[in-house]
Amino acid sequence: MSDQRVLTLRVLRSSPGEGLAPHWEDFRVEEAEGMTLFIALNEVRETLAPSLQFDFVCRAGICGSCGMLIDGRPGLACRALTRDLGPVITLAPLPVFELIGDLSVNTGKWMRGTAERLQTWIHAQAEPDLTALEAPMEPALAEAIYELDRCIECGCCVAGCGTLRMREDFVGAVGLNKIARFRLDPRDTRTDEDFYELIGDDSGVFGCMSLLGCHDVCPKGLPLQTQIAFLRRKMASTGL
Amino acid sequence: MASSLEQSTVARPVSGEPTMNAADAALPRHPRLRASRWPARLDLLQSLSGLLLALFLIAHMFFVSSILISPQAFHTIARFFEGAAFLAEPRPWIVSCVVGVVMALFMLHAWLALRKFPASFRQYRIFIEHKEQLRHSETGLWWIQLWTGFALFFLASVHLFGMLTQPELIGPYESADRIWTGNMWPIYLLLLFAVEIHGGIGLYRLALKWGWLQGADPLAGRRRLRIARTCFSLFFLGLGLVTLLAYVQLGIAHADRAGERYVPHKASSRLAEHGRPGGLEFALSRRPGE
Amino acid sequence: MRIVYTDVLVVGGGLAGLRAAVGARRRGHDVIILSLVPPKRSHSAAAQGGMQASLGNTAKGEGDNEDVHFEDTVRGSDWGCDQQVARLFTHTAPQAVRELAAWGVPWNRVAAGEREVVMDGRRVSLSERPEAHGLIAARDFGGTKKWRTCYVSDGTGHAMLYAVSDRTVAEGIPVHERMEAIALIHDGTRCHGAVVRNLVSGELSAYVARATCIATGGFGRIYRVSSNAVINEGMGAAIALETGAAMLGNMEAVQFHPTTIFPAGILVTEGCRGDGGLLRDAAGHRFMPDYEPEKKELASRDVVSRRMEEHIRAGKGVKTRFGDHLWLDITLLGAAHIDGRLREVKEICQHFLGIDPSRDLIPVRPAQHYSMGGIRTDARGQARGLRGLFACGEAACWDLHGFNRLGGNSVAETVVAGMIVGESMADFVESVNGDLQVSTGLVREFLDAEQARLDALLQGKGSENAGELMRRMQDIMTDKVGIFRSGELLSAAVEELQALLVRSRQIGIATRRPGANPELVTAYRVQKMLKLALCVAWGALQRTESRGAHYREDFPRRDDAQWLKRTLATWGDAFQTLPTLSYEALDVASMELPPGWRGYGARDAIEHPLTAGRVSEIAAIRQAFGHADRFTVQQALMSYEHLVPECFRGRNARIGESS
Repeated sequence: MSDQRVLTLRVLRSSPGEGLAPHWEDFRVEEAEGMTLFIALNEVRETLAPSLQFDFVCRAGICGSCGMLIDGRPGLACRALTRDLGPVITLAPLPVFELIGDLSVNTGKWMRGTAERLQTWIHAQAEPDLTALEAPMEPALAEAIYELDRCIECGCCVAGCGTLRMREDFVGAVGLNKIARFRLDPRDTRTDEDFYELIGDDSGVFGCMSLLGCHDVCPKGLPLQTQIAFLRRKMASTGL
Repeated sequence: MASSLEQSTVARPVSGEPTMNAADAALPRHPRLRASRWPARLDLLQSLSGLLLALFLIAHMFFVSSILISPQAFHTIARFFEGAAFLAEPRPWIVSCVVGVVMALFMLHAWLALRKFPASFRQYRIFIEHKEQLRHSETGLWWIQLWTGFALFFLASVHLFGMLTQPELIGPYESADRIWTGNMWPIYLLLLFAVEIHGGIGLYRLALKWGWLQGADPLAGRRRLRIARTCFSLFFLGLGLVTLLAYVQLGIAHADRAGERYVPHKASSRLAEHGRPGGLEFALSRRPGE
Repeated sequence: MRIVYTDVLVVGGGLAGLRAAVGARRRGHDVIILSLVPPKRSHSAAAQGGMQASLGNTAKGEGDNEDVHFEDTVRGSDWGCDQQVARLFTHTAPQAVRELAAWGVPWNRVAAGEREVVMDGRRVSLSERPEAHGLIAARDFGGTKKWRTCYVSDGTGHAMLYAVSDRTVAEGIPVHERMEAIALIHDGTRCHGAVVRNLVSGELSAYVARATCIATGGFGRIYRVSSNAVINEGMGAAIALETGAAMLGNMEAVQFHPTTIFPAGILVTEGCRGDGGLLRDAAGHRFMPDYEPEKKELASRDVVSRRMEEHIRAGKGVKTRFGDHLWLDITLLGAAHIDGRLREVKEICQHFLGIDPSRDLIPVRPAQHYSMGGIRTDARGQARGLRGLFACGEAACWDLHGFNRLGGNSVAETVVAGMIVGESMADFVESVNGDLQVSTGLVREFLDAEQARLDALLQGKGSENAGELMRRMQDIMTDKVGIFRSGELLSAAVEELQALLVRSRQIGIATRRPGANPELVTAYRVQKMLKLALCVAWGALQRTESRGAHYREDFPRRDDAQWLKRTLATWGDAFQTLPTLSYEALDVASMELPPGWRGYGARDAIEHPLTAGRVSEIAAIRQAFGHADRFTVQQALMSYEHLVPECFRGRNARIGESS
């Protein structure tokens, strides 16, 4: 036990509702075996700072609630093991999103906005007949759609995107990936011309500067680099 | 229950109020294209102009480095571009035309690229903060490209203007005199670095942007591209430096007769006479890969 | 006084709430959804393995239909479920899967031809029919006769939640996020909406609605070790309980999932075992066949969890400084299968354990997973005791699951119940019963009362620490109201929980700001959670038998003679420290499947006096109908079709069976 570390969590605290300006605050916690930032932050809240705000839901890397800047890089706090981090860990809220307080940001509002803007749902011509056999789909295609459907809207790609940080109307990788997902889905009857309406400009796919921050920070390992390149080719040929 | 919507806006809930009536969006769509096609064209043009400039750059580098073979080689190539092979006598205005096309491409590319630059001090600050936080190689590369691109506005413009207005002054002595006696070498040195770094990163990013050469495993594809980018920049920087050095040395040797035009047979006898070919040989001995 | 009016108020943005909202919206009513978190963050997203629906597309699912699914569900529930609800559910589940398919869920599909699978520890070859090519596939899950669990890799809940959530966006349904219902507005017989706290600003407002639906999920967080998300604190059930009019059913029926990673308690799907994974002890021995020769690792969850704990008690577990655990072995499935079908499991193992499940064994131990109990409703989702209040999903005791639910039946229930309750609420709103007759005076009364409760916490001089009470409650529940229960432990638990409840009235908090205030939230929630914990512990103490997940070491037999009944808990007086329990008998004489042996687990149930009579009655009916089709026979045994909303009444098509 002698080599047990004492960690310093350096948290960027703020409370916009109370007009409290952002400032760094240090909290010291004893590291435990298998400790994640979920455990460490809860310990801080239980013992040192009962008012500390952060968002966890599933604490299993599935729901995407706990995106934050961990030592400057966007990531999921629930599955960040402290043993992989240094003795001083800086934690800051994700940029771009509306700040609620401390490490908590309003990703929900942003993502809903994206869903409405890009109409991220299946656009079918007719209501399905629920009692009839389902329309068949090639097994490989279903798997390919799921590959893109795995996005958890955690906002890490948004925070990791230099373009989006400069230009807040940019749709971001999360949005482009969704378009790629629905484009792939034969149940969605929209054509490339329809998708061009949604992302065929500089706040859409042509605004992407290929910085690939999105791809490199995505906690789910989504193929954002290739999907955005693919969409760019499709939209460019549609626009010609 | 029509009142419910009004009521809910009065209550200003935290979020989730739809910004548009999404149900309407699900209605049949307009068959007509409403969005402009220009963003697609401009995006293509930016990439295409960059690609052409990069290809020109590669060719240009090989042409000017012919000085490393011999002044005569460079002279021949320079005259070739003035139409020597198929016209009765060389016409430098042909070169001017080529330069004009390159210049147009360059301006187009610069104009298109400008759209991506930070548009305000706020954006500039945000990007710097982002870059420093993220410590991410691709993000850093773009920043390098931005600054090299910015430098090229000036450096390349100076060079292009010179070539446009004095196309006849492209030749072993003429170029060497311009570089050394005309004090252009510092600009060429900076231009060399800016253009090779910008071009290397540009080609690399072009491949990523459009998904070229990514292979079955995109991550491995990116690694390969990164290696190719480094090799590209190093090779052309090396070649460029050696070439520039050759011109500088030739310029020093020719300084006392600066302004004298190169005439093939005369030049070779002159050099032999004065016995000062050393600079060139020195430069040749430093060619990469030998 | 802020009042928001709407036709339908849905509390909870998980699968059940979202689907119910879509249903009501499509019938033309205004709907508002309240959610603690953005809806796509709901715990529905954590459902991994799949959703049961008898499509019968795969080779191992051939011959499956509503009848088989019904019987599996009833046996799984240890005859605790409402059989009409089970019928309604199994009939509608295929439609739910097909609707979700149309809404974009990328269900895994059948590939025609030969394929290799792992069954019972061996690689065997299966041949899929060409006519099934491209139709929705299914995997094996515990307690089922057929391979019936439709899945999307092991991210089924995620894919479903995203499709349904996107559908609510398409329908233009507003979701008011980070809003918590902290009390129901009611007059003792009719619910009029809820008092809602904005978790960011701390402001209270009243949402007045013609129909209010609670879809807040389970209450796993009353336990220390739980697979549940941290938001699963059962607030919906608690505010219903606090009305004193609505009642909670079968709260003692708490499911423990066999395989959560040790010690974090994060779920790894039953699909691991369904796809061929095995359980091993410290010696590497596969022990389940020793206990359960019929279904082995794929007995129902209550049985497998109990056998695992039994094995650990016998000293066969792996000892660590955090306690003992067993191993889940999926190495035999191969890396390709794990990469494709169990990738969330793989990610969880990598990130939380630092292991590769295609090479290493996964340390597992059972943990609290699901609440079969909840707000008692009728088959259409209407709460007992309070008109205008509806409930669906895990928050409800619709009573599909009885005392143990089958894996894959809860994620199916969310959507199916959402479909039915959405219609049911629309019917209600369109009827005269649905007319709004509430005075703003009553609304003000409720708002003021809730504000006073919060102010008392914020400004009071209490000395009790809310976090400490919470931890103590969670410890008591995990240690004393767990898998193995006894009168002694339960009495101690009830006593301690009552003391905690009394102490919780004296909570003091350090952070006095009215807005975003995690400490205040813990304070008012723990007061409510203690009531739920007492419903569980007190109900468990009273139930002197073992049924499904409720296992009493001092009463190890299922006692149909005494206990074939549902526990109902109410909390009439805010100052009482125990719930008032009453019981609702299950009618053996009208059961389609009378009590018997489940096909796994114990065989020593004490028979209900009417069982034998019903068994012979059923035999006679079957004989009388001779060669009639299965629908006619079923109708004669137990009619349920009147409970199905008209739009879902059609017969489900299958290969070789038209709709």
